[in-house]
Amino acid sequence: MAPTLCSALDRVEAEAQGRDLRGPCPAPSRPDPQLGPASPFAPAGLINGPCATRAQSGSAAAQLAWALPPSRLSALLTVGPPPMEEEQTYLELYLDQCAAQDDLTPPGSPLLSPVVPNDGYIPNTSNSETVFNSHLQEVKGASGHFSSVDLSFLPDELTQESKDQSVIRSKQDIEENCKTQSQQSRLSLPREQDMGLGLISDSALSKSHSQAYPGDADSVQPSPEKPNSTPLMSITPMTPVTPVSECSGIVPQLQNIVSTVNLACKLDLKKIALHAKNAEYNPKRFAAVIMRIREPRTTALIFSSGKMVCTGAKSEEQSRLAARKYARVVQKLGFPARFLDFKIQNMVGSCDVRFPIRLEGLVLTHQQFSSYEPELFPGLIYRMVKPRIVLLIFVSGKVVLTGAKERSEIYEAFENIYPILKGFKKA
Amino acid sequence: MPGGGHCPDCGSTELVEDSHYSQSQLVCSDCGCVVTEGVLTTTFSDEGNLREVTYSRSTGENDQVSRSQQRGLRRVRDLCRVLQLPSTFEDTAVAYYQQAYRHSGIRAARLQKKEVLVGCCVLITCRQHNWPLTMGTVCALLYADLDVFSGTYMQIVKLLGLDVPSLCLADLVKTYCSSFRLFQASPSVPAKYVEDKEKMLSRTLQLVELADETWLVTGRHPLPVITAATFLAWQSLQPLHRLTCSLARFCKLANVDLPYPASSRLQELLSVLLRMAERLAWLQVLKLDKRSVVKHIGDLLQHRHTLVRKAFRDGTAEMEAGEKELRGRCQGPEQGKEEVASSSLNLPEGKRPASPTPLLPPCMLKPPKRICPPPPVSTVTGDENISDSEIEQYLRTPQEIKDFEKAQAARQAARSVSNPP
Repeated sequence: MAPTLCSALDRVEAEAQGRDLRGPCPAPSRPDPQLGPASPFAPAGLINGPCATRAQSGSAAAQLAWALPPSRLSALLTVGPPPMEEEQTYLELYLDQCAAQDDLTPPGSPLLSPVVPNDGYIPNTSNSETVFNSHLQEVKGASGHFSSVDLSFLPDELTQESKDQSVIRSKQDIEENCKTQSQQSRLSLPREQDMGLGLISDSALSKSHSQAYPGDADSVQPSPEKPNSTPLMSITPMTPVTPVSECSGIVPQLQNIVSTVNLACKLDLKKIALHAKNAEYNPKRFAAVIMRIREPRTTALIFSSGKMVCTGAKSEEQSRLAARKYARVVQKLGFPARFLDFKIQNMVGSCDVRFPIRLEGLVLTHQQFSSYEPELFPGLIYRMVKPRIVLLIFVSGKVVLTGAKERSEIYEAFENIYPILKGFKKA
Repeated sequence: MPGGGHCPDCGSTELVEDSHYSQSQLVCSDCGCVVTEGVLTTTFSDEGNLREVTYSRSTGENDQVSRSQQRGLRRVRDLCRVLQLPSTFEDTAVAYYQQAYRHSGIRAARLQKKEVLVGCCVLITCRQHNWPLTMGTVCALLYADLDVFSGTYMQIVKLLGLDVPSLCLADLVKTYCSSFRLFQASPSVPAKYVEDKEKMLSRTLQLVELADETWLVTGRHPLPVITAATFLAWQSLQPLHRLTCSLARFCKLANVDLPYPASSRLQELLSVLLRMAERLAWLQVLKLDKRSVVKHIGDLLQHRHTLVRKAFRDGTAEMEAGEKELRGRCQGPEQGKEEVASSSLNLPEGKRPASPTPLLPPCMLKPPKRICPPPPVSTVTGDENISDSEIEQYLRTPQEIKDFEKAQAARQAARSVSNPP
C-alpha cells in the first residue's frame, strides 16, 4: 500500500514541479562548500542556505507519503484537481499537525502580505524562497509549495509511528538534516563564514554525521532534542501557538502619544499668545500657537480653526487629560471652547530585546517588509502588514514601534517581531 | 519671410507661402521659382526649405513625452555614460524613470527632485545588478544633497514597489580599493609606499570580512570601514616603513577622500585585532599595543576564524546567564549587564589573557549614557477634575499683559529704526 501511495504522490508532484523525485537530494543543487572566501559577505550564506533547503524539499514529498495516515491520503489522491490545490491540501494537513510545534508565527500569520504568492504559512521560509529564487539561477520548476513546508515536527511523529520500518530509518536521517536545515535556514544567513558554510553544506547535503568538527557539533544537537520534544508533542497536540510563543517577557513602553481634538470655535491666536504665559506664536514660521503645560508634560499646537494637536504624553489617559487642560486654558481666555472628537492618532513605543541583531540577514529573509540602507540610516525599517505598524530595528536590539492607533497593536506587533528577531540571535 | 530657406535658383531669402489652387507652395518672390510644393512627398532639397512645424503638430516618438521628462531621460543616459555602465543598465534606468514619471506626484515635483530622481533610478539599476555604486558618489555627481536624495529614494522605492538588494560589500571593496593611487610610484608616492594591488585587495577583503563578523559593519556606513581596512592592510604589508604614516596622510597620498568615521572604525578594528592577538600563542608573550599589532596582522588574519571564536564568547548567552543569576538580587536589567561587564573586567590582565569579551556591536559594549529609570506607574484616568488654580498658573495677569505689550511695542520700534538705514 505504502509504496504505491508514495509513487503515486511522487508522480503527482513530479507533474506539478516537472522533475523527478526519486531518492534524496538532487545532486545539481549541491552548492560548492569552497565558495566562502570568494564572497565573504551575506551572499555566501545566501548561496548555500537556500540550495540546501530546496534540495531537501524534493524528499519532503516522499516523506509526506509515509507521514500521513492512509485515510487522509486516499482523500488527497483524487486525480483531477490541479496540482496547486493538492499541494494546498497537503499544506493544510501540515498546518493541523504542526500547529503546536510551530515556533514561528501561526498559519495565516499577520506577517504575510498579499503579495506572497504561496500559501506560505511559514513567512520566513516562503519569503526566503522568493528571495532565493530571484538570486539563484538554478531553481528548477516552479517554486514548489513543498519547499516552504516546515518539517521540524516530522521526526518526532515518525519515530513514534513507524519505528519498525527500516526504510523510515534512512528517511529520519534526511529529516534530521531537514530539521537542522530548516532551523539553520531560519537563522541568519550571513553567519560566521566558514562555520556557516561548513554547517549547512556538510550536515545537510552529505547526510553523514561523521563529518569534520562543524558537522559533528551540529549533528549532536538534533538527537538530544528528539527525546525531549516527544513528550511535548504528545501533551500538546492542538494547543494554540500563542501561549508558547508569547513568552518574550518584554513589554514595549509607550513613549509618545499624538492626539487631536476639536475645540469647535474660531480662535484669535494673537490674543491667546498675549494672554497665556506658556504660549509661543510666530505666524511667519508656523500658523499655530505652540502651548506647553507641565503636568502631564505635553505640547499642543492650537490652530485658528479651533483644531488642536496634543503631543508628548506617555499614555492615552494622560493625553486626554492634557488635551482637556489645554481646552480649559482656551476657555479661561474667553473662548467658547468645547471638547469634541478626541482621537488618538499615533502611538510610539520602544523596547529592548537585549541581544544584537544581524540586520543584513533580516533584510534578506524579509525583503518584502524590510528596508535597510546603512548609508542613510543605521536602523532597519520593518513595515508590518498586520497590524499596520512600522518598526525601527537597530543592531543593538532596541526596537521602536510606531503608527499604532491602539496600545494592543504595539504589543501585537512586538509579539510578532520577537520570534523573528530571536531567529537571528546566534545560539 | 523667416524660415531659413533660400531659393535654389537666385538665392534670395524672400520666400512666400502661396497656394496654387489648394496645394500649398513655397515660392520665391524674386524669380518665381517654386521651392517646395505639396506635403505628401519631399526631396532632400525640399526638406531644407520646409517651414518649422509647431511642436504640437509634429509626429514622432517624443509626442507623448513632456519636455521635462525628455530632459530627465537624457540626464539618465548621461549619468550612465559618465559612470561607464553597461548599455543594459541604461535601458533599465530609463524604464524606471518613465515608470516613475507616470505617477502624478513625481510629475508635479520640483525640478530639484526630478534631478535627484535621475540618480535614484541609476542607483536602483546598479543595485539590482550588484554593481557597487554608493549614494555618496551619485550625490557628488549630481551636486545633490544627501537628505533630498534619501527622501526621494525611499519614496520612489515604495512607489514603484521595487526590491532593491543591499549594497554588495565585496564588490564595493574591490572598486574602492582599486581607486587608491598606490600601485605605481609617482612624485607624491614614494617607492616604499607602493603596493601590489592583488595583495592589498585580498588582505583588505579579509579585514572587512573580519569587521563584518565582529559587528563593526552592521548599521554603519560601509565606506569608512573599508577605508580603515585598506589602511591597515597597506600598513601591515610593509610595517617597517609604513607605521609612521597616519590615516589622513595615507588617504592624501592615495588621492582618496578620508571619510570622517574612518578613524574611529580604525580604532575599533585595532581593538578587535588586539583581542585576537591575546589568543595567539606566540603573540601572547609580546606586549602588543595598537601600533605593534599591525606587524602581526598577517598571522592574525590567517587564523582569524579560530581566534575570533576563542577571543570572543557569545555576548547574548553571557548576558542572559548573567541576568538570570542577578535577577534575584538586582533590579533592572541594566544592572545585570553592568555586573556582567564588570565581572569580565575584574579579571587580572597582563598575567593571563583576559577572559573572552562578549562579541557585541560597539554600541552595546559602551556603558549606557544615562540609565533611564522605568517610568512610574501613573494612575491617570483622563477624566479627573482640573483645578482652576492649575489653569491660572498659565495665564498672565492684566498687569503682565500691559508690560508685555509695552515691551513688544518697544521692540518693534527698535527694529523699525534699525532696519531702514
